[in-house]
Amino acid sequence: MKARNDNKLENLLKDLQERKKELNCLYKVEELLNNPQKPLEDLLRDVLDIIPTGWQYTELCLVRISYKDQVLETPGFEETPWMITEEIRIQEKKAGDLTVAYSHEVPHSQGQIFLEEEIRLLRTIADRLSHTLLHYELKKTFTKWQGIQEDFSHNKLEKWRAIMETLRRSDKKLFIYISRKMLRNLCLSGSEQANKLLKTFNMDQDERRMAVSDDNRPLIKQKMRRLLELSDQIFHLAAETMDEDQILYNIEKWIQEDKSKFLVKAIDNPNSSLHEIIDAITRYRYIEAEGIKLSSSIRKGLRVSLVRRFFYDQLEFINVAKKYIEVRDYYDIVSHIIFHADSRGSLGGKSAGLFLASRILENLTSKYEVFKDIQVPKTWYIPSDGLINFLYYNDMEEVNEQKYKNIEEIRFEYPNLIQIFKNAQFPARITDGLKTAIEDIGDHPLVVRSSSLLEDRLGAAFSGKYKSLFLANRGSKEERLERLKDAIAEIYASTFSPDPIEYRTEKGFLDFNEEMGIMIQEVVGSRMGPYFLPAFSGVAFSNNEFRWTPRIDRNDGLIRMTLGLGTRVVDRVADDYPVLVAPGKPDLRVNTTMDEILRYAPRRADVINLETNVFETINILDLVRHYGPDIPMGHDLFSKVSDGIIETPASAFFINYEKDDLILTFEGLFKRTAFVQEVRIMLEVLQEVLGTPVDIEFAHDGRHLNLLQCRPQSFAEESTPQEIPHDIPAQDILFSADRHVSNGDVPDIRYIVYVDPEGYRKLSERSDLLNVGKVVGWLNQILPRREFILMGPGRWGSRGDIKLGVSVTYSEINNTAMLCEIAWKKGNFTPELSFGTYFFQDLVEASIRYLPLYPDGNGSVFNREFLLNADNQLSRLCGEFSYLQNVVHVIHVPAAAQGKILRVVLNADQERALGYFAVPR
Amino acid sequence: MGEAYNPYKTAQAQFMKVADLLGLDQSSKDLLGNTQREYHFSIPVRMDDGTVKVFRGFRVQHSDARGPCKGGIRFHPHETIDTVRALAMWMTWKTAVVDIPLGGGKGGVICDPHNLSMREQEGICRGWIRQIANDIGPLRDVPAPDVMTNNQHMLWMMDEYESIHGGRYPGVITGKPVGVGGSLGRTEATGYGLIYTVREAMKELGMDPKNTTASFQGFGNVSQYAISLLTELGSRIVAASYWDQADRKAYTFRKESGLNMEELWPITDKFGSINKDKARDLGYEILDENAWLEQDVDILLPCALENQINADKVKMMSKKVKIIGEGANGPTNLDGDKAIQDRGIYMIPDFLANAGGVTCSYFEQVQCNMNYYWEKDEVLQKLDTKMTSAFHAVHELAKKRKLYMRDAAYVISIERVAHASKLRGWL
Repeated sequence: MKARNDNKLENLLKDLQERKKELNCLYKVEELLNNPQKPLEDLLRDVLDIIPTGWQYTELCLVRISYKDQVLETPGFEETPWMITEEIRIQEKKAGDLTVAYSHEVPHSQGQIFLEEEIRLLRTIADRLSHTLLHYELKKTFTKWQGIQEDFSHNKLEKWRAIMETLRRSDKKLFIYISRKMLRNLCLSGSEQANKLLKTFNMDQDERRMAVSDDNRPLIKQKMRRLLELSDQIFHLAAETMDEDQILYNIEKWIQEDKSKFLVKAIDNPNSSLHEIIDAITRYRYIEAEGIKLSSSIRKGLRVSLVRRFFYDQLEFINVAKKYIEVRDYYDIVSHIIFHADSRGSLGGKSAGLFLASRILENLTSKYEVFKDIQVPKTWYIPSDGLINFLYYNDMEEVNEQKYKNIEEIRFEYPNLIQIFKNAQFPARITDGLKTAIEDIGDHPLVVRSSSLLEDRLGAAFSGKYKSLFLANRGSKEERLERLKDAIAEIYASTFSPDPIEYRTEKGFLDFNEEMGIMIQEVVGSRMGPYFLPAFSGVAFSNNEFRWTPRIDRNDGLIRMTLGLGTRVVDRVADDYPVLVAPGKPDLRVNTTMDEILRYAPRRADVINLETNVFETINILDLVRHYGPDIPMGHDLFSKVSDGIIETPASAFFINYEKDDLILTFEGLFKRTAFVQEVRIMLEVLQEVLGTPVDIEFAHDGRHLNLLQCRPQSFAEESTPQEIPHDIPAQDILFSADRHVSNGDVPDIRYIVYVDPEGYRKLSERSDLLNVGKVVGWLNQILPRREFILMGPGRWGSRGDIKLGVSVTYSEINNTAMLCEIAWKKGNFTPELSFGTYFFQDLVEASIRYLPLYPDGNGSVFNREFLLNADNQLSRLCGEFSYLQNVVHVIHVPAAAQGKILRVVLNADQERALGYFAVPR
Repeated sequence: MGEAYNPYKTAQAQFMKVADLLGLDQSSKDLLGNTQREYHFSIPVRMDDGTVKVFRGFRVQHSDARGPCKGGIRFHPHETIDTVRALAMWMTWKTAVVDIPLGGGKGGVICDPHNLSMREQEGICRGWIRQIANDIGPLRDVPAPDVMTNNQHMLWMMDEYESIHGGRYPGVITGKPVGVGGSLGRTEATGYGLIYTVREAMKELGMDPKNTTASFQGFGNVSQYAISLLTELGSRIVAASYWDQADRKAYTFRKESGLNMEELWPITDKFGSINKDKARDLGYEILDENAWLEQDVDILLPCALENQINADKVKMMSKKVKIIGEGANGPTNLDGDKAIQDRGIYMIPDFLANAGGVTCSYFEQVQCNMNYYWEKDEVLQKLDTKMTSAFHAVHELAKKRKLYMRDAAYVISIERVAHASKLRGWL
């Protein structure tokens, strides 16, 4: 047994040794090729010498590089039966090859002389050589071109003729292309003769047109000789009508255009794979570096095609993206895509939104100083068809049918499915890519996020259904790679989890072939003790749908933020509160009294524990006590509570993290830094450019604000403005509202709990008033969750004078779908309804809709008759309080409204809301 | 159609009841049954958006027969003058019952801080003072924080007052932080004050603190210091209820061997929520919300919310209960009060039991006026003296006149104010 283990170990060590050799070899080749100063032959010779060091049997290894008519060999090279060859290709044509041979037979397994890794290594070196050779060729042309320019500088008149002559002899295709361009140019400038020539040039084309209409004859091919003759005439004409500089300028431009044709070809061809496109972009990058530029029309075309290939083909998106994303902006992205050989996928919606937003901000940096500070974390991508490829590679295609099973079955099988995914293999090319990513990122913590195609269509309500996983990314490279693969597999599996499938079924998107892009992103943050976390993070919206005071306008926006990872802000958590601020009115806060500020300060933070490698939730106070000085900008984030005063520490000097009573308020950040302004301008600019209100995610590491996500706000389900129907018969309308309306839809309400303002006002015993709150609390427990609404006078949950509104705590109303506070002049339940009920933030966190009703207002409907006359279920549901039946009315809507339910639609754009009886959906 | 609830009418009716009992003459009823002075004014404030908004402000001085008026300033969107009047009258009785040389006042502004930035609130505070600067002052009327106002508001007000009068007058406002005219001992004052009265009650009832047990409702600031002091006296506190912030419901925690504040403080947050798990580890049982009141103890101390104890709750109390000390404001409703009286339980009514707070405000004012600040021990010792003598005055009267303690407390305070008015020759 021990011997076997030793043997295993020995093999493993050998493998590792080999990998090291290969990497070393590749590294040296890279180093050489990156030095473009050397003459070509010297360079190739050096490469020749290095290659054997990467092979298992270096001393037996022979190498040959043949390129055009040059052949370079290691001494004693000869072709043997133990040999591999890779082509060197330049501009899609074979230009030579690279061969490695063993001089003698070597030990091998299963008929394979060369290791898999060696074959790949050879391919990589050949690829790299191809690039370098292309670079040399271009450089040669360029130098030649410069030579010609210099030669003719003293004889300007002849300069362009010489070029055309050279072209005519060396590249007839390009010569004719340029002639044609020139002819068109002349025609456009109105030359009659040019028009005549065009006719001749197009004669065959006319014939073709007729042929198309008459019969199906094939095109007649122009005789090359005739075309050349015509070209001469064209340039003759050109010489007569244009000056030399003009001609030269045009020829130069068209030659350059031709040089970059390959890029257009690769990108516009719908069949080209991601690999071909990325290749073309990389090549273009070299050409561009040489100073060759594209015409603006081609550039525009390319930009559109690139957006379509990498992101989406949605017109609204393209229209904006083409203005802000240059070809060169893809250089960085393409070197960070991990893909399989014939991938044709895109990067998915999350990537698209973020990339575009970051380009917009960068483009506008000169106009808005504040954007200078904004960054986007380093990201690697796996395109959307990676999932399909993964399934195919593992023979798991049948998983695709999972979604058609019944939901119980899916739910039952899902845990097992995750394990199947986690045990599946990644294709070698993906694994290699991930290795590169891991090396690039080092041991910085990572987040693996989904960037699916459906997320774009279904919006925020859906995106939360797929996972984002945080990785501490600690340990050896192998361990880190394994954990990364594990996380990707888990996200892939989440495509088949019951929740999204149920949601897709509901929305009719089940048959959509879901593809899942992956983003591997560095987590923004810094180390604080054993933890890694951002100083703060959050989300921000252009439109504020939860305005806590009427003084805040919808377009004042909203920021929800907390310390640590943004997970606590994105997902609503029941027992903690993020800090809210309206960037347009940062001084108007939700929590104003001392008690509120203390009570609603965030208490917990999500962090990555670097020691245990897990994502966890910790108490902010514990973090402060133990690692306070590690928290960046601590004095801007925390306020000190002492002797009944909440104080913002003037500087870090004034904080004692071990002793002070500190609460997270962000006061210093809001008052002393440009943060709020930065977010406000960012929201405004993005909204203006994208033409839609936006929803962004951000994180700050104490040095820079990082943008993590950007998407249209309308994606958020809760903030979609609803169509207000105009054809509802008067008897079916329960109420309408036209002030302080947010957006949303509260469908299928089956019960109404109505506290009549008049009845409430008449109660004189304090205990009776308190009992109204108790009844509401009891009903909240027994009525179906989110299928009832509460309507009643004044400010609910008021801690002050109970007469001003129903006295309830949050837990007594937490199951309602909506709370309508009724302002009624008669009972002094007016003039100012308070959005700022102290549990307002609880409502926000629980997504309970809030709507103030002003029945005395002009034109507003309030059908009190219905509410008072409908059968009151109060005695049946809580007999104990039946004496309050003139105050509390519980209405079963279907029974009182002929089988209909109550539906409330809210539209903030129109400042209108309507509650009406409708047929259940 | 019934009339809307009017707190002022309720307060007047309550006064009339006691006035009749005391046999006060009509002029006394007219003077003390109404407010002595009222100020109604407008406060223009420049808002953040450049516009000017005018807020309505009040100050009511119910009586300054016994000394400068004392009472808070409320910010409330539905503030009414009748609420302010009722609260001002209540303050007169409260200062009188502990026999501190102050009268009663109250003020307010109709506004909702939820709709205002801090700068705008500062504008209101300074504007309020500008309107009333000549009618308040360390020797005339001394405001303090109240509903939706806090120490920060008080400091702005003090600063404005001092600017107008050109000097340092920290005694114009109480509730200030230590170092800017605040008094030490304020945190402990209400809880300690409560226990001073309980201690005296035990003496009167012949109970040895070392052999008595107690249970608390609530675990806020008042309870925490009260438990601490009562434990020091040798009593065993077996249970206290508290509001669990995370579960959003109340529980009672119990330990037969007695609550220990030293071990509880580290697991308590600033709202009086304790960490259940850690409490269990320390040997505490976690019981339901009402368990505090069913304990077999000698003393019950409701220190949480108003209107908690009704007749049914009184039935749940152990036969052993001998004393109830109302640390909270109005924890007992009318039925409950009647049931307690019927059972013969000794009641220390709220405005006596929790007067430690206002007494400490008085000390703050005294220290400010002489610009000399005492050590904490001195404050607490003086507090003990005041509370003890206040308790005995009420107790003696109750015994002598066979009055329920709550009625005795009212009688003594109204009698004191009427007497001062008479000595001044007003009546």
